[in-house]
Amino acid sequence: MSELAHPIEHHHDEEGTRLGFWLFLYTELFLFAAFFLVYAVYRSSHLEDFKLAAESLNTGIGAVNTVILLTSSLTMVLSLDALKKGAIKAAKVLLMVTIALGAAFLVIKSFEWGAKFEHHLFLQTAKGIAAGHGSPLLTPGEEMLPVGQVLFYGLYFIMTGTHALHIIIGGIWMLVVLFWMSKGSINQEKPGVLERCGLYWHLVDVIWIFLFPLYYLVA
Amino acid sequence: MNTHEQTQSFRLPILVFAGLIVLTVLTVLLSGLDVGNMGALLIAMSLASIKASLVLYYFMHLNHEPLIFKLFLGVAFLTLLVIFVLTFSDYSFRVIA
Repeated sequence: MSELAHPIEHHHDEEGTRLGFWLFLYTELFLFAAFFLVYAVYRSSHLEDFKLAAESLNTGIGAVNTVILLTSSLTMVLSLDALKKGAIKAAKVLLMVTIALGAAFLVIKSFEWGAKFEHHLFLQTAKGIAAGHGSPLLTPGEEMLPVGQVLFYGLYFIMTGTHALHIIIGGIWMLVVLFWMSKGSINQEKPGVLERCGLYWHLVDVIWIFLFPLYYLVA
Repeated sequence: MNTHEQTQSFRLPILVFAGLIVLTVLTVLLSGLDVGNMGALLIAMSLASIKASLVLYYFMHLNHEPLIFKLFLGVAFLTLLVIFVLTFSDYSFRVIA
């Protein structure tokens, strides 16, 4: 009877939700950590090949993409800041800029990948080379790139590919948040969803901060 | 006081961002140094760690979170450290043909 007299209130623990989200972020971190571990082991056993292969990546493109992601993190922080102050319009514009920057990152990345495809460096296998898809980087007489370089390019595509997938998911999430902000269900009093979307976006940025020097610089 | 706080909260992320850009430029410039493989790796990873810390602490607002959030980060970091150290305590002593 007393339960009927006091209907159960919907309890929402914002701090607990955030802590739970951080736990999820650590599972993402460990997903990438496994890739970084494989990179570290193969780099130590095929150092010369890794250095040679890394020279084929364009440092300028990598640096530009780093600046793009860092800027998108800033606009995300400012967007959440604006929302918490009640400046919905500013928050929406800043979120749109963040989405645009994420899209720019992907466009640049796709051009970079495209150039590698043209050189047949994608998932290079002995079978593909036998079928006449040998890389022009090979010197005549060589059947296949040295195993260390195949490992480097394989890891490059898997790690930047998984990272790009996270950029796509983050972008879709931001579009949904933008829609909910227009509908008014995300607002100054309830900024939680944008806050978690931002945490996710920043983690993707943190991963790139480590990917950039390992693939584009340490040659 | 309120307006002051608002400009403050606006200024800090931009300062952190400027720091991140400076560190990125530094990472690219220092990668040209001839300090050997381990030296280059050490410089690049140290700078990346500082950048990651800035993002975690200021952009992901760990500076405003209670102690438990920082403990979680510490546990995650230590676990990673153990995994990497154990892996290399094996691989470093293997004889690879």
